[in-house]
Amino acid sequence: MRERLTRAIDRLEAAERTDRSPTLLHRLDGRSKLLVTLVYLIALLSVPLTQLSDTLLFAVYPLLTASIGGFRYGPILRRSLIVVPFVAFIGLFDIFQERETLFRIGPLAVSVGWTMFAVLLLRGLLSVQALLLLIDSTGYPRLCRSLQQLGVSEAFTTQLLFVHRYLCLLLRESIALSMAIDARSFGRRNYPLRIWGTLICQLLLRTFDRAERIGRAMTARGFTGRMPALPYTRTRWRTADTLYAVGWSAVIVGLRFVSPERLL
Amino acid sequence: MSHHYLRFEQVGYRYPDGHEALHDVSFELTHGEKAALVGANGAGKTTLLLHADGLLLPTTGQVVVGGIPITRRTLPTIRRTVGYLFQQPDDQLFMPTVEEDVAFGPANMGLDDAEIERRVAEALASVGATELRHRAPGRLSGGEKKRVAIATVLAMEPSILVMDEPTASLDPPARRQLFELIRTFRHTMLIATHDVELIRELCTRTLVLHRGTLVADGPTQEVLAAGEIG
Repeated sequence: MRERLTRAIDRLEAAERTDRSPTLLHRLDGRSKLLVTLVYLIALLSVPLTQLSDTLLFAVYPLLTASIGGFRYGPILRRSLIVVPFVAFIGLFDIFQERETLFRIGPLAVSVGWTMFAVLLLRGLLSVQALLLLIDSTGYPRLCRSLQQLGVSEAFTTQLLFVHRYLCLLLRESIALSMAIDARSFGRRNYPLRIWGTLICQLLLRTFDRAERIGRAMTARGFTGRMPALPYTRTRWRTADTLYAVGWSAVIVGLRFVSPERLL
Repeated sequence: MSHHYLRFEQVGYRYPDGHEALHDVSFELTHGEKAALVGANGAGKTTLLLHADGLLLPTTGQVVVGGIPITRRTLPTIRRTVGYLFQQPDDQLFMPTVEEDVAFGPANMGLDDAEIERRVAEALASVGATELRHRAPGRLSGGEKKRVAIATVLAMEPSILVMDEPTASLDPPARRQLFELIRTFRHTMLIATHDVELIRELCTRTLVLHRGTLVADGPTQEVLAAGEIG
């Protein structure tokens, strides 16, 4: 449990510091990557739910982006699996509702429902992978700054940053609390619901207390509710950004309108 | 008029739950003076320090910094003049990297990029933490965190430094390093501490707080000799 929490903190904190990596993808302006991701999500979600082969083509984007950014695809795929239970739950209804046969693989008849289920699953996985690659290659603060530069309200982006920081804080306090419990539990794992309730209340109180102290430290250094733009998180839109945004958008739009079935 | 003086005029503070944390506290620190603030746990030291930076506003009386009374309107000026070092560096360091943390204050002051970078470089150099600038604050040792926390304050180039237990939870070498660092500062300083060695070595004046009331204020040697501490 504690190891998992520690790994989660590591990942959250890594998302804040990934803007110094030497690859081209990391050096690009967050806005160009954000625009490409947006085009990708719109194109992916516009593919009809019965077009499995068309949807499969969209795997090109996360695979290539991971390669350009120097990320191993395996861990990205593994992290994206978190979405599977939610998407599978939604897709289950299609399996029972749409029973007519769409195509056959030898003697096996594949129904519309099963195809829709697979497409939904793919959509979920590919969308999350695209977002993970965007965050991992941009860094969370720079991504929020890019959103702001694209016109998203400052109040909203500041809230996004704070939610991210609060998650880190919540995890740290959870680890501290879990250590305190372990130190006096003598291996006991099960507690009555009442105790869990008390622990959760304690956790919230501790995080509020800590957040208040951090808030004071921020106020003492002139914070008035607006996260300042720092020279280290600021990037400039360059020709490479235009090329990246236009190039990938063209490829993605192309993917949307090229059907592998027609090509074959 | 010097920005370096800090005056408490009959300051009283009552927390929303009714607890009176400060009662009729008056003193003045002048240019370059280094004063220790001592007292038992719960005596009101942190509450008093929070007033010096306008993080709490007095219920009665007033606090004046360099001739400017602390009010909501004057807070931006006060924050440029008074630098606050919190007891726990983990509370003070909240940005993803050390350099971003040190740049946070100057950026809030509306300075341009070149000036921010100059201040970050100078502040980190002055505490001997230049090599830490790209590190994550959460991964530093206790002593390193403390030095970086001081750099975050120094980058704002304050005239007055207010420190809450600067040597708390530091090992002896880190503590000694901090002593030497504080010794180089020319700021007016108010340091809340239980560390008698720090008081003896660095502070020429000592104020003793007991249950929210200032019970002694004088040269450190005299206050120590009178046994007012402890």
